[in-house]
Amino acid sequence: MTRPSILLTTEATYPYAVGGVSSWCHLVVGGLPEFAWHVLPIHAGGRRPRQLFELPPHAALAGRIEVWGEQLPRRRWIRDRLRGGRPSLPSELVRALIGWRPDHAELLDALTWCRRHPGELRATFRSEQAWRPFVAALRDVLGERHPELAAPPELDTVDAATLYQQLYWVARTAAVATPRVDLLHTTAAGWAAIPAIVHRELHGTPLLLTEHGVYVREAYLAAARSRASAAERFLSSRLGRGLCLAAYASCDVISPVTSANAHWERKLGVPAERIRVIPNGIEPSGELTPLPRNGKVVTVGRIDPLKDVQTMLHVAAEVTRQLPGARFEYWGPPTKGQEAYARACEELHRRLGLGERFRFMGTTSEPLEAMRDADVVLMTSISEGLPMAVLEAMAQGRPVVATGVGGVPEVLRGCGIVVPSGDVARLATGVATLLRNPGFAERLGRRAYARVRESYTQRRCLEGYRTLLAELTGHDLAAAA
Amino acid sequence: MSAPLSEERAGRLVHARLGRPAQDLLETVVVLEAWGGVPSESALALDGVVLPARAAPAPAPARPLEHEDEQREGIVAEGIALLVAIIAVAAWAGPLSRQLGTAALEHALHVALPLTVALQWTLRSRYLGRRGGVRQLAEERVAVLLLALGMGAALAALPGAGPLVALFVAIWVGGAVLARRGWGLGYAALVAGEAAALAAGAPARAALAGLGAIVVLACALAIASSRGPVEEAPGRIGRALAAGAIGALLGGLLIGDSSLGWGVHGAFPGLALAPSVIGSLWGGYHLWQFHAAVPRGLRGLPLALASASIPGGPAAKILIGALTRLVGVTTLLSLLVLAAAPWTNGTDQLGLFVAFGAATLLSLFVSLHESLGYAVWALIVAAVSLAVELALDRWLLAPPPGVALSVAGAVGTLLAVAPLVRQLRSPGRMLATALWIK
Repeated sequence: MTRPSILLTTEATYPYAVGGVSSWCHLVVGGLPEFAWHVLPIHAGGRRPRQLFELPPHAALAGRIEVWGEQLPRRRWIRDRLRGGRPSLPSELVRALIGWRPDHAELLDALTWCRRHPGELRATFRSEQAWRPFVAALRDVLGERHPELAAPPELDTVDAATLYQQLYWVARTAAVATPRVDLLHTTAAGWAAIPAIVHRELHGTPLLLTEHGVYVREAYLAAARSRASAAERFLSSRLGRGLCLAAYASCDVISPVTSANAHWERKLGVPAERIRVIPNGIEPSGELTPLPRNGKVVTVGRIDPLKDVQTMLHVAAEVTRQLPGARFEYWGPPTKGQEAYARACEELHRRLGLGERFRFMGTTSEPLEAMRDADVVLMTSISEGLPMAVLEAMAQGRPVVATGVGGVPEVLRGCGIVVPSGDVARLATGVATLLRNPGFAERLGRRAYARVRESYTQRRCLEGYRTLLAELTGHDLAAAA
Repeated sequence: MSAPLSEERAGRLVHARLGRPAQDLLETVVVLEAWGGVPSESALALDGVVLPARAAPAPAPARPLEHEDEQREGIVAEGIALLVAIIAVAAWAGPLSRQLGTAALEHALHVALPLTVALQWTLRSRYLGRRGGVRQLAEERVAVLLLALGMGAALAALPGAGPLVALFVAIWVGGAVLARRGWGLGYAALVAGEAAALAAGAPARAALAGLGAIVVLACALAIASSRGPVEEAPGRIGRALAAGAIGALLGGLLIGDSSLGWGVHGAFPGLALAPSVIGSLWGGYHLWQFHAAVPRGLRGLPLALASASIPGGPAAKILIGALTRLVGVTTLLSLLVLAAAPWTNGTDQLGLFVAFGAATLLSLFVSLHESLGYAVWALIVAAVSLAVELALDRWLLAPPPGVALSVAGAVGTLLAVAPLVRQLRSPGRMLATALWIK
């Protein structure tokens, strides 16, 4: 019996980058050999990326999509030139992706045209006839009125040209051929969803979306944190929203990793019956070890504004003021492109005079060891889905103090301390309380350990996907067994 | 976990965090959840209550664009190196002609010049015109080495002046790599030393072979010793090949006019080429900032004018600046070389300077077309120019030196200018459809 085939589309993650989403992909692809996996990664242009995960025998790369690069799709020189492209395409895309009330049918029509005419895209976007209607459509979008909208920012010509270029790459992504499969599985409601949306529209193949974070939330967060102009923030967040809504409208099932994401999905128009929460899972450690009682507070994660490391530094300053023996260790490298943020953190570290009481430890290949050597695990993120670092700490029986973002309150309910994000005083109080009361900390750790073994195991996660994928592909698991 | 969220508190939280009102409801929710400690259910239930009235937005300062690629490093050294190299190579002509025979030298130059220009354009398109270009070359060193060896062997096997062609190409193309690596002055010293050796009566073939070997080894060392991260991928092969074809046609222009008499008249016409090459270098350097200066110049241009015709826009200004530099420097240096004609050999022909100036002008326009992604049009312009030159060369009876090249350059320039003017007139459209969609 042939295995049902699945096209897994990823965005700047598996198999070219490490992180929570990549680990999840590797777990699911590796753990479900009853399916044949075709992995289609999307990555930014530039250097050819290095593959960091070795695919199992039942999985293979289905090519890769490079955006912002120089490579061109195959063209038939004479025919593609004679046809003249579709000058209305950029204006259709701006209405369907940037408009507040987009027309999904218009978007599907535009994107499927891209797939059918890959060789005409460059000529279309370079056409002098495409620019003027694009600008008119963009001005229409800016003139939209809706109770949920404030006044739009003033856009200039460069902003418009930037968006035009981004839409070209949306079109190029839509144009990439995808293999015939039984199921489409996309790992983000953004660029990764584009080829799957087109494939579904052309072939009727069911589409499953797994959301780790909420794409639109992260797009807005990134824009809000950036030092970009109001116009740039507006366009980048609106494009993120447009892609996200398109993915939501096309997918048959969404499987968020936490029910916290489901609130967002429902709010953005996804019917509740299409949402199936499947939490991440982790392999619990065999044996619960006692707390080391060394006064150490450990964090494992990238140095990234989303992790709000600066709040953590303030927390460390406050805790060590109360408990001079406390020591903080931050394990993880800066995110690529966030080196300036890392430098700002080091500067703040100096200004707070933390010295050896807070140490940036760099990358570790043994994050579990680092956590096991802690009395408290701390997380100060401002945005999360269901963070693997929290599950890993719980699996080691370590008490967690974390901000209540994403799925964190759900997973830590009754077995950890959850405080509002950015609240230094309450975070510090949580950490100090656990350090002062090792018995209480030990009890929380044991409860966390039990919670992971009960609800967040890899086996349970894989079982959830096995059932869902079989259902969507029409695969009879019992017969296959 | 948190107090019930009032509209007022939510609005205050958002404004305090962002320092401005939210752009829409989603931004409000995101900010409240991320920085306000508000659970997403509560934040998502707010609807539009915390948004400000649709008042005019506060003017936001335009963010200056990155000054990417604006400063090309080592340009002065590169210019001096180029000048010394041209003069030195021009000085080779007499001794080489005497030792190897005029016919052999002319034949070698006729093959080597277009091939050199073609290879320089190819290398520039794929590697050398990019940030960290030499390092990109290093990444593909095996393929490049194999290609270079294959091409060298094929050229050396050419009947007639094969080995001479191979040496010229190696020395001149290697010079482009060394100049990009910042070793242009060293290269110029090598070439000048060669000129001195030849003038002193050194055996030509052995001297050229020695220089060729040194240049090739220096190139290998330059590539191997380049350090630093490679952020960009090399240019696409198709584009590099097209650039090579354009370069070959432009190089063909240099030899298509038989009145120029390469290799026949001693330093003439190599020395006459120097003013236009230096002018081209300065003009090209100014044009180098085109890709950064055009968007910077368009910052703040309202959306309503994005499709408008702006004759004196930033793109036109850059091009005019480049043309002024090219024409000005070429004219000035040409007059200087003409003034020095009594002390040099065969550089007293005004038509020759005009011809090289016209060819350089054409190269600038063709280069701009290619960089804007109009490689086909650039190819057509270069091909038509070469065809005109060859036709005139065949049909004109005993014309003054350089007439065929001058006319070809003028025809090509006219062909190239018309579509460029249309593009540059609407800089917003050009930025979006040509500059940023490659």
